Amino acid sequence: MKKIISLTVNGVEHELAVEPRRSLLELLREDLGLTGTHKGCGIGDCGTCTVLVDGVATFSCLTLAIQVEGCSIETVESLAENGRLNELQQAFVDQGAIQCGFCTPGMLMTSTELLRRNPHPQEPEIRRAISGNLCRCTGYQKIVEAIKTVAGENDE
Amino acid sequence: MILPQFDVLVPETVNEACAMLAEHAEHGVRVLAGGTDLLVNLRRPIITQHVPRCDGCRTHPEGAVSSTIDCTMWESEPLMASGGSLRTLLRDQEKTSPEFLVSLHKLKELKNIRRSDDGGLRIGALTTLAEIQRSPEIRQDYTALAEGTDNLGSPLVRNRGTLGGNIVNARPAADAAVPTIGLGAMLTLHGKSGTRSVPAEGFPTAPGKTIIEPDELLTEIVYPLSPTYSGSAYYKLANRKALEISTVGVAVWVILEKPGGPVADVRVALGAVGPTPILAKSVPAVLIGKVPDKAAIAEAAEAAAGDCRPIDDHRGSAWYRVQMVEVLTGRLLKIAVERAGTTT
Ligand SMILES: Cc1cc2nc3c(=O)[nH]c(=O)nc-3n(C[C@H](O)[C@H](O)[C@H](O)COP(=O)(O)OP(=O)(O)OC[C@H]3O[C@@H](n4cnc5c(N)ncnc54)[C@H](O)[C@@H]3O)c2cc1C
Ligand code: FES
Ligand code: FES
Repeated sequence: MKKIISLTVNGVEHELAVEPRRSLLELLREDLGLTGTHKGCGIGDCGTCTVLVDGVATFSCLTLAIQVEGCSIETVESLAENGRLNELQQAFVDQGAIQCGFCTPGMLMTSTELLRRNPHPQEPEIRRAISGNLCRCTGYQKIVEAIKTVAGENDE
Repeated sequence: MILPQFDVLVPETVNEACAMLAEHAEHGVRVLAGGTDLLVNLRRPIITQHVPRCDGCRTHPEGAVSSTIDCTMWESEPLMASGGSLRTLLRDQEKTSPEFLVSLHKLKELKNIRRSDDGGLRIGALTTLAEIQRSPEIRQDYTALAEGTDNLGSPLVRNRGTLGGNIVNARPAADAAVPTIGLGAMLTLHGKSGTRSVPAEGFPTAPGKTIIEPDELLTEIVYPLSPTYSGSAYYKLANRKALEISTVGVAVWVILEKPGGPVADVRVALGAVGPTPILAKSVPAVLIGKVPDKAAIAEAAEAAAGDCRPIDDHRGSAWYRVQMVEVLTGRLLKIAVERAGTTT
């Protein structure tokens, strides 16, 4: 009972046969081998599976692949530019916002959405924006600092 | 996530969706909107309405179950840790889960916010909670609804979850459903044999249960005109600001005859203090016609506390909840009266 769907992932168009109950997360990790997107809880609580669907930060674990037919998906693999970390990724490294790294893909995608919507968010808005992304290591402060660095540098 | 086997149908129109729902009703069929409730509940499995499947389709052939195990088993899967073999678990899951999901993602006509002819507001059922939260119009005229979405789940939940889903899911604490009742909204239900309009407060009947028929879709939520001297507010009492279910939720809506009073109409809706979100029915009799001063508000707050029927659970005792309904209703009435025009 597989269904054929087409979607764009990181700029590349794909046509895939998927089981109706296949989640977007499974499609990305297992069918396309994009293992940068992580699986934590599988029920919307942790946010590590976050990707952008037509620009909107979306937990891929609670999204069926069929629901994003025709959509454009961006995963953490799309952030680096010409093999180099982008500004936000580099800020995470520089500020010590990555410890075990498990939450990092989701944190990066959620903050990418935030910075596109508002290039200069203040700290309360940053904290609110990442409130659906859990981190067990950093205590959040360094993640907030990293996002602030980029928010500040956008401030021209 | 291991989900039970189901097929997904993708209608292009509302009528097609209703026809699909009617056709498959006996096999267990659910509407899929954002999936933030449904896909979690399917896994548990705790869906209570319009399932299980008919006897003929209760179990899948052995082959279907083992292919599930081969292709989607993840070693860390928490389901495994809860004891029992995966095979038994999947079997049990399937007995209580629908055979079909009707996914609404192509019905763009249900994703909009617009003015109705009489100056009220019509919100399509597929409008996301994030879209509601960011709408300046809703924040201005239907403040309680905007505030209802502010601390609902997390930004990720709001990006995906819909207003319709929050209402049809019928949880007692539903943070957008409570202000919807408070603001006196009507729900448009569209089924195979026509359309009906029902008041939001009469819609849920028990946790997870509503008066919706198996072939019906909730298409639109219609809020009445917000008069000049009116104001509303919602407060979610919870232990955290994100990813938390309310201990108590209170929504109030006040309409004044003129700035400073007297009260022309008032509605108070309560969440997490009964089997469904409820309308505090004794408040209007206490407050209408009076100037909303401290004493009148205190009396109304006490009346609201008398209307709720909470239980003890890990979020709070019934006693505590009753106290909080009184405190919060009082505070919110004061805020709503201010918003209605006394201070401007
Ligand atoms: C991590 C997490 C945190 C959450 N926190 C909160 C919270 O704080 N407060 C809160 O209130 N909720 C919370 N929720 C629940 C949920 O996000 C909301 O209830 C949301 O609004 C559901 O909308 P949905 O579109 O995802 O619904 P779905 O899951 O798609 O559907 C929910 C139910 O409604 C039915 N349905 C949906 N749309 C229609 C329609 N148009 N017509 C007929 N039937 C329909 C479905 O069949 C299903 O039974 C949380 C969920 C998660 C995963
Ligand atoms: S894995 Fe998707 S939210 Fe946790
Ligand atoms: S760095 Fe380990 S969970 Fe965030």
